Amino acid sequence: MSNIPEQLRYAASHEWIKVDGDIGTVGISDHAQHELSDVVYVDLPKAGAKLAAGTVAAVVESVKAASDIYSPVSGEVVEVNAALLKKPELVNTDPYGAAWLFRLKLSVPTELAALKDAAGYKAQVGE
Amino acid sequence: MKTTARSPKSKEHRSKLRGILGWPGPLVARVPERGIARAQEVTGIGTSPANLLFARNVSTPTRTRSCPGPAVAGQEAKISSATVPDRRYIPTIMSDPAPLQKTALFTAHQKLGARLVEFGGWLMPVQYTGIVDEHKAVREAAGVFDISHMGEFFISGGGAPGFLNGLLTNDAAKPGVGQGQYTLMLNERGGVIDDLILYRLHDAEFLLVVNAAKIDEDRAWIKKNLPAGISFSDRSDATGALALQGPRALEIARAFLGAAWPEPKRNEITSHSWNCQPILAARTGYTGEDGLEFFFAGEIAENFFFALLEAGRPFGLKPCGLGARDTLRLEACLPLNGNDLSEKRTPLEAGLGPFVSLTKEAVFPGKDILQKQKSEGVKEKLVAFRLKEKGPPPRPHYALFQGDVQAGEATSGAPSPTLGYGIGLAYVKTACAEPGTPLELEVRGARVPVEIVKKPFYKRNS
Repeated sequence: MSNIPEQLRYAASHEWIKVDGDIGTVGISDHAQHELSDVVYVDLPKAGAKLAAGTVAAVVESVKAASDIYSPVSGEVVEVNAALLKKPELVNTDPYGAAWLFRLKLSVPTELAALKDAAGYKAQVGE
Repeated sequence: MKTTARSPKSKEHRSKLRGILGWPGPLVARVPERGIARAQEVTGIGTSPANLLFARNVSTPTRTRSCPGPAVAGQEAKISSATVPDRRYIPTIMSDPAPLQKTALFTAHQKLGARLVEFGGWLMPVQYTGIVDEHKAVREAAGVFDISHMGEFFISGGGAPGFLNGLLTNDAAKPGVGQGQYTLMLNERGGVIDDLILYRLHDAEFLLVVNAAKIDEDRAWIKKNLPAGISFSDRSDATGALALQGPRALEIARAFLGAAWPEPKRNEITSHSWNCQPILAARTGYTGEDGLEFFFAGEIAENFFFALLEAGRPFGLKPCGLGARDTLRLEACLPLNGNDLSEKRTPLEAGLGPFVSLTKEAVFPGKDILQKQKSEGVKEKLVAFRLKEKGPPPRPHYALFQGDVQAGEATSGAPSPTLGYGIGLAYVKTACAEPGTPLELEVRGARVPVEIVKKPFYKRNS
């Protein structure tokens, strides 16, 4: 049973986003980190990069494989979590906190409506 | 996140359908006198259990005082709650492009909370608790892997050694009865169809343990070349197999099988019984550690597995999946067919020269190509390389560069749990193959510094 916080929005591809004004913070869900297990490396976007919703924004590598992480909404990257470059294992231990991946300035805030709420995501992962 | 979960929905393991038909008769050591006499008569060789176990003509049902039948009923291994944790994550069913096969241990893996993935057409556990955790268990104590998906072929007949010498690269006349040998089966171009272990069970009876994904292809190739008078039997479906690996593997096996167990030496295979059922134990493996590979009838697989886990628990034994198996074998630089070996690469290019006998008289497919390649030298070689600094782990198909020129391509790669940095195997131009050569690995458009190193990455103290 994974942790699915109520206050976040979720993409079907297992990213979460927390919105504060026009800034969204993005990470991957507890379910996703559990599925990956043993995260050893994270590739982050560059600040200033313009991302479209659903495009590859980052890569999280476990022992077994590299997994693409998609941006749940469109926007410009304003900050990335450099701490993950030194401590990628934070993705496993604190996926909703210290292991946020990047922050972006939303360019199409209406896209948020297409994301799932906690109940919808919970239903998707079958918990 | 893009995931690659596969469906656990598939046909029951075929062994269920075939039952015990394909498995050799009961352990002959426990068969009444007449049975043993018949076995000797049929095979014309000694009475060592390894020989007798596979004398298939002996089919007398075994019922002795020490082994009341039915053989397994009532003797099931006790499974403690510590052995079977709560069911963990099982991949979401997405689609089922091809029916996947299951081993006789499929439900056991589910009970143990394994994460199941597709591998070579089989639904196999990739991990139970975690790849790093399982990897460390094998390096520091012991791990047990389901290898029931692998193929077991039996080849017998007076001309079997000669036939195998004309089929396989290594000298099949070398192993004595009860000994194993790593060898390769090539196509006419010298490319690798499969790498396998050949065990000599009798003078003229051999067990070939082949890769799961290659069973059908290997069988077809062998049958195509099979002369009259040599019998071939594919018992892959009816045979269960487990690899017990790690520095404490032998201690565990002794505790589990008792003092009467004939302990095989390195590369040897012996037979014994467990719960009145025949088992084979080979001192071989695919992890770089000491250990054993057990073969037995699929019917006893689950009981054997749980009983072994229980016996090994005080020694730190853990069930391990294919994820750890891959990182362990990569550290030991043991090649994986389909990645590091292929029909487009010869064993000489793969650095497997010691397992190719070009001096033996027999002509195996591809021998002329290998002779030519040996005299001219190979153009590309399978080498080991490591990341020079912290960075993204190498993965198969990543390109390696020397300046602007591509030097080769990775065939395997992973972060090494033992060493703490990224490691890989790659075919590179011979001029770039010397240990110490600096190259660059291309990862998602960026270049990462790597260095060719001497094989293997990891060697156990022994």
